[in-house]
Amino acid sequence: MTAAKFVVNEVKGYHGFVKFLILLVVIAALASMVRFVFGLGATTNMNDTYPWGLWISFDVVTAVPLAAGAFTLGAIVHCFHIKKLEPLVRPAIVTGFLGYSLVCVGLLLDLGQPQRGWHVMRYWNLHSPMFEVSMCVMAYTTVLFLEFLSPVAERFGWNLSLRVLRWLEMPLVILAAAISTLHQSSLGTFFLIAVDKLHSLWYNPLLPLLFWVSAICSGMCIIIIEATSCHKWMGQPNEGVLLRTLAKILPWTLGLYIALRAYSLLALSVGPFFDRPVLTLLFVVELVIGFILPFFMFTQKSVREDDRRRVIAASLVVFGLVLNRFNVSMFGMMNPDQIYYPSIVESLVTIGIIAGHILFFVLIAKYFPIFEHHPETVDYTIPGRIRKSDNGAEPVSEQS
Amino acid sequence: MSKVNTSKNNAFLIDMTKCTGCRGCQVACKQWNQLAAEKTEFFSGEGYQNPPAMSEYTFTRIKFRDYQKNGQNEFAFYKEMCMHCNDPACASVCPVGAFKKTAEGPVIYKADRCIGCRFCMIACPFGVPKYEWSKGLPLVKKCTGCYSRVLEGMKPACATACPTAITYGRRDEMIKLAEERLAKHPNKYIHKVYGKEEAGGTSVIYLTSLPFNELGFKPVTLRPLPDYTWQALRMVPAAFLAVGGGLSALSWITHRRDRLKHEKAAEQVDNPAEEKED
Repeated sequence: MTAAKFVVNEVKGYHGFVKFLILLVVIAALASMVRFVFGLGATTNMNDTYPWGLWISFDVVTAVPLAAGAFTLGAIVHCFHIKKLEPLVRPAIVTGFLGYSLVCVGLLLDLGQPQRGWHVMRYWNLHSPMFEVSMCVMAYTTVLFLEFLSPVAERFGWNLSLRVLRWLEMPLVILAAAISTLHQSSLGTFFLIAVDKLHSLWYNPLLPLLFWVSAICSGMCIIIIEATSCHKWMGQPNEGVLLRTLAKILPWTLGLYIALRAYSLLALSVGPFFDRPVLTLLFVVELVIGFILPFFMFTQKSVREDDRRRVIAASLVVFGLVLNRFNVSMFGMMNPDQIYYPSIVESLVTIGIIAGHILFFVLIAKYFPIFEHHPETVDYTIPGRIRKSDNGAEPVSEQS
Repeated sequence: MSKVNTSKNNAFLIDMTKCTGCRGCQVACKQWNQLAAEKTEFFSGEGYQNPPAMSEYTFTRIKFRDYQKNGQNEFAFYKEMCMHCNDPACASVCPVGAFKKTAEGPVIYKADRCIGCRFCMIACPFGVPKYEWSKGLPLVKKCTGCYSRVLEGMKPACATACPTAITYGRRDEMIKLAEERLAKHPNKYIHKVYGKEEAGGTSVIYLTSLPFNELGFKPVTLRPLPDYTWQALRMVPAAFLAVGGGLSALSWITHRRDRLKHEKAAEQVDNPAEEKED
């Protein structure tokens, strides 16, 4: 059987939903080719008034905090040393790696000159938040790739690289958290330059800090949603007990976010605040339904311990985060006379990116040990043929 | 970012009360920069002006405003163009440093560096940078301040073509001239030199007889825009070290505590008698 035939047979065996996801990804790939052939003007609804559209608002500004679970959980497990949460780490790293890879894809589609993306590394501009975010995203995607190599090495039994990766684990976790802090907050710095453009309900000098804290909240909530759905639809074990622990941390971070938000609004912002009813409504929905309501839900033991109610509260936070990023990067920047809405090509590409994320996650989970990871059971010893030479001299690996 | 001594560089003084609306500046700009014509219709934009907005093909444009004076219909004008800020927002946000404030005054754009991210368009408080939306691999377009002409000792194309309203010269002299005009004809002008302090000072300064907002001037902050992002970005190294160092220290403590606990547990296994006391 040829390799192509093998792939076809393999795909034929997939669940109908997975096939549907593949279709969405293929459509998005075609749509993005259309963008390069006909230009950004003809295929998107962006123009000189709205130079940033759905691709920046969702694929970059929203997708990055949604992928924050990896660094948050890494820090919780390895630095705060809440070891029992370790089984959640690998799925989170896979999600993060996929998320960031797709952010890069989205960004390359949005750039006018994607072939010059590397210019960022050549012509540094330390005063640009975009420079900072680009460097961090590249660095962090590399870190996530290295972290993601662990299950790959396990799958193929590369014990030596497994050992190196395990030795690198702590430095990578700390590096991941430090880099993430920088770029999650710098995404907020983007909009500090939009002084007279972004509405006062969202514009304030604390925007970078708010972006960072809300990214931590949503990162944990994504893990809750992900683990719950994997249990429900992918036949994985119920991690409810672990998620309960995670849910105990959330009221603290959500509470901090709400307090910072209130402080920035009351003390640091300059009105007018409630001059546009639509924006007022968006603001209230975002803050009340997306942050305050789940905050109170997570303070309740009954919510934290109930699988269904816990995932509802987590979904509310994710909803709040998405709405917040759209409010900052799109709705709050709009002028009422000229409204932007995404074109069909823009929407298809973004839908494809979301579908691609779920698709690759399912496929990776299918072929690599993502969920079955129990650190104590993995054999990290160097196989005998490397460890010992024939005459039984000193082990080779210990010389390095 | 303001490394350039801004008092020495050149500026446009545009006295809108002297503008006749001939649009010779628009034509001169198109000719010098070899910009394609745009297909236009009357009244396709806000009013009498054409084209309806600045674009990749139009770097400067005269905006018309109807108003009534002594029962007569009158026109007032506003020349839109790049303001050539002293501390430009576009230059500060560009990840590859494609914009540069030159010592001669113009803010120039290095097309060979640009990656096309359009952050300059978000950042510019005057809405100046425009994009080549029709192209597959687009670049940004904006007024060059006729940098190549200025380097050769000539005036910019629009300033050369203008028969009445534009004076071009050293910025401090232009501001002095503007203030002299205000002092001489206090009733003719709105008492303000637009561009003296706007966005931290610009190399295009205006005098008008109608309120600035009525003519279409954007209300902008007086603080240089790069300050707004720099106040957050300057904390980046500290944040990196704080988070990295903090987490390293924390992990060291938690791991040590864990190790001690294991050692103690191991001792207790060796001495079962002690275990009972716990």
